[in-house]
Amino acid sequence: MRVMRTLGPLSPGKLAIAEDRLRNPVPGSRIEAARARGVDLTLLIAQLRLTPAERVRHMHDLSTLADEVRGAARRGR
Amino acid sequence: MNFVKAVQSLVDGRVEFVIIGGWSAILHGSSYVTNDLDICYARGTDNLRHLAKALLPYRPRLRDLPRDLPFVWDEVTLRNGSVFTLATDLGSIDLLAEVTGIGDYSEVRASSIEVDAFDRRVWTLDLPGLIRAKRAAGREKDLRLLPELESLLDAGE
Repeated sequence: MRVMRTLGPLSPGKLAIAEDRLRNPVPGSRIEAARARGVDLTLLIAQLRLTPAERVRHMHDLSTLADEVRGAARRGR
Repeated sequence: MNFVKAVQSLVDGRVEFVIIGGWSAILHGSSYVTNDLDICYARGTDNLRHLAKALLPYRPRLRDLPRDLPFVWDEVTLRNGSVFTLATDLGSIDLLAEVTGIGDYSEVRASSIEVDAFDRRVWTLDLPGLIRAKRAAGREKDLRLLPELESLLDAGE
């Protein structure tokens, strides 16, 4: 029997574990390596607190804002 | 990019597709900012017809084609290609029949997870699948995303 998998918001327990792993990466872990390479882990924590749909709307708003800034910069040249 | 409208139109048009690429990363929690929607689509005759019909109202044309050259958007055009980089009234939409590192639609679907969002149910690559695809694609912009995706995977396991 195939198990239906769905992507939803993290449960409070799973979110707490994920936040802890991202705030306090285990030495030698891939999370620690990502932080060393400049990944802002606090942004991931903020995104994980949202539902998948909210994550999309948030990044959509940022993308729209970036487009507007780029357009304004072009017009100002 | 009107991501929500694009996805709703595809679902309402009964298109079999999986969200891949940057918007898939965002659904999983990435802070990546992207402007184009990448989807993998099934190549069946009915699906090509549904896909052509669903995007028709948004005037799809090839991004790399000069604007003054004629371009016909229909299921025949879809049948004659497998990768389409489209400019539409909703934004840039890339259609791929296969995903590097995973395979065709059926294999991509097997590596996908269902999301309930925007009053619709849609499919997107699962995190391991997305990481596999990004690594196999191998472009700088794909590889740059890997540390973030791997962090999300390890944080959530």
